[in-house]
Order: sequence, then structure tokens, then C-alpha cells
Amino acid sequence: MHSLSLREKVVAGLACGAAAMACAALAAAQPAAAVVEPSAEKQRMIDLGIEHGTAWDLYRYFQEQAGGGDTLTWDRIPDWTGIWTREASPFVWDPDQTEGTLPTAKLTPEYERRLLEKLARVAQGIEYDPLSGCNPAGMPRWLVEPFLREFVVTPQQTWLINEMMNEVRRIYTDGRGHPPPEDAYPLWEGDSIGFWDGDRLVIHTSQMREGQYQRLQPDYSEEVEVVEVWYKSADDTMIADVWVYDPPALVEPWYTRQVYKKLSNDDKSLRIRYWHCSENPNNIVIQTEEGTSDFADFTFTDADDRPADAENRREAP
Amino acid sequence: MTRKILIGAIAGLLTAAAFAHHSAVMFDDQTEITVTGVVKEFQYTNPHSWLLVDVTEEDGTVTTWGFEAEGPSTLMRAGIRRSDFAPGTKVTITGNPMRDGRPAALWVRAVREDGKEFDPREGFAIR
Repeated sequence: MHSLSLREKVVAGLACGAAAMACAALAAAQPAAAVVEPSAEKQRMIDLGIEHGTAWDLYRYFQEQAGGGDTLTWDRIPDWTGIWTREASPFVWDPDQTEGTLPTAKLTPEYERRLLEKLARVAQGIEYDPLSGCNPAGMPRWLVEPFLREFVVTPQQTWLINEMMNEVRRIYTDGRGHPPPEDAYPLWEGDSIGFWDGDRLVIHTSQMREGQYQRLQPDYSEEVEVVEVWYKSADDTMIADVWVYDPPALVEPWYTRQVYKKLSNDDKSLRIRYWHCSENPNNIVIQTEEGTSDFADFTFTDADDRPADAENRREAP
Repeated sequence: MTRKILIGAIAGLLTAAAFAHHSAVMFDDQTEITVTGVVKEFQYTNPHSWLLVDVTEEDGTVTTWGFEAEGPSTLMRAGIRRSDFAPGTKVTITGNPMRDGRPAALWVRAVREDGKEFDPREGFAIR
């Protein structure tokens, strides 16, 4: 058998499941998991992203197509009420990514290396998520987090809310632009401006922090910019067509369709509450010296129950 | 009360359990542990809830086990309310145990003394 590259080992490990690298060599001899080819509609959207060199170019294209775009009035607000959640698994950014395959992004060599090394570490049981230190997900990761969402539309702003860490994205649709570049600084949710094209909300977001699309997904850089087109395709279905531009990480824009479903809530029991990440000491997660996750001391058991290497741990940033 | 522990290999599942804010690598997802005991406290909190169960060992000592699940809104979607596990409730509960041997596990399913079953992962079903 030939010597496996890191990519071959990781792909083989994905086919084995979560604790996988041990069987990677064996799995490499098996047929690779099938990668789903984009549908014609998806390919058209991918091409649309490629045809526009930057996120801003694509946003401006949509704006021209919309005749400059609309500003809503109170008597013409689309009904986006309800409690919503993302349809796809939170572990994938692209809902079309099938089990046992790599994310569908076209990555630069540097960011592919980072992804493969991360997946190799996870397969060895070494994983730490910045969320464990009670950081928010931030944009664009915000798009794929699970849990409850609300979408609040007003003429001047639309608030896109995810309950986890109380993350609210404010989309300004009153005609304002982004802050001047000299005043821009990285923000957890970025700075979002938008316009309405009928009942479709078109958004351009910039000024985001670097991060990861999700735990088993690639990283994005501080240069990331996102264009989204949000609309309701059925009473219980919200669509967000998303193009991510990130020259350091992506060789071409990463187009995906994110789908959110309205949850039945007839008894009104589902309500978004304030999310206090550190209210329960049993949820404090630390990063070990080897870089993986572990719980700090529990309140319900003795510190003596901890393994001998407890003193080698350090607090999460 | 007799402590009952059943450990067996299970198929690995890439589920959304314990998703909220940390990796699940500290749990052994290939092993299940089952204990029977009495609810000490149901910590119905974000980002994770903890069901604390007092389990009496054969020698009479009591160990408090913690079973982790998602936060309140996901538990509500799974039909698991805070009142379902009032202190004193007898329960048999199964989870993926921590690898380091501490008495804690990722809550997989629970059966109350009245026979009602509770699967917190149902909270991710869309309906």
C-alpha cells in the first residue's frame, strides 16, 4: 500500500466514524464516500458567485437587479414571525455535505492544511471549541448553529436572532452604508446592511472576526465577507442563499443554501430566554495541555475524582 | 437501592447531543452506562442541563451521578420539563460515561419509575 497523504488519511478516517484514525489505512482501501455533485440550480448560484469578484460586487449586482432596492413600510412587512431552527445537522456548513466526505469549500492550500490537521486531531480525540469559553459563535458561523431563532422585521432594521449566547444580528435597511474603512474593526456579528427586493432581504456583511464555520469545518479569516438573500419559500420554511468570500481561505466563493424551519408551538411553550453561558459551574469547560476539552471540577462530586493530571490543565481563554 | 451498571459497546453515532458549547470527546461514545437512583436535583440551565441522581452502592454509600443534556429549550422540544424530574423521583438512566472515570455521563435516555421514557436528543427533531 502506498504511503497515505494527510488528506487521504483524513478522508479515510471520516469513513470510519468519529474515533477513526486507527482504521484509516484499512478504510483507504475501500471506495471513498460519494460526493454529491451540485444540482443545476446550485451550480447556477455557484457560478453567480464566481462571476462577481467580491462580495460587494455581488451585492451591488443584486441591488441593480432590484432597481436599487426597496425600503419597507409598516403596511408591507413580510410575516417572518414564529420560532425557527436550522434544518440541517449543525455539524455541516453545506447541507449537501454527505457523511464521510470533506466540506464542500474550495480551500486554499493553507486553509486546507489547517482543516485536515484539525480533523486529524479530532480523530485522535483532541478537540476544543472556542464556544467552550463562552464565546459567541459569531458570523458567519451564526448561520449554522442549532437552537431557537426569531426573525424580527421592521422598516428600518431586521433583527436575526439566535438564542445561543443571545446573538442578535442587526441588518440595517434604512439606506446607510458600512462604517468608513478607517473606523472598521472586527466584530462578532460583523456589520450588516441590506435592502428589500420584494419580500427578499439582501444582506452584505463585513467586519467579521476570524473563526471556524463549525467544529469539523474549515476556518475563515478576518477578510471574510458574506452576501445573503433571505426569503420565505413556504409558511414553515425560510431560505437563506449564502455566498462567502474569503480570499485567504477560499479560492472561489462558497455558496450554500441554508434552510430554517418554523417549529410548531401551539401551546406557546417555546420562548427564547436569556442565555447565560456560565450560570452553572458544572458547565465550565477547560482546555488541557494537549489541547482537548475537559470539564472543570463538578459541584456534585469530589475533586479527588479527577485524574492525576488535573494540575496540568489551564483555564480556557 | 441496588446500583445497576450495564456497560456495552454501542454503535458510534455522530449526533447533535451535547452540542451546545463543547466537544463531546470527554465522553466515551462507544460505551453506555446505566444506573438506577433517585433524583437529587435537575439543573435546568444553559448551555447544558444536568440531572443529578443519587445512586446507592451495594456497601450503602451514595454516589451522585451527573447526566448532561442540552439546555432548557431543547429539552422542552424533547418534552422534558423541569417538573418531570422533581427531587426524589426514582429513575433508571443511561448515558455515555466520561473517559476519566468521574461519575458523569452524557444523558442518552431515562426511564422513570412510572415507565415513562425520556430521550433528550428528541429535542433536535423538527416538528
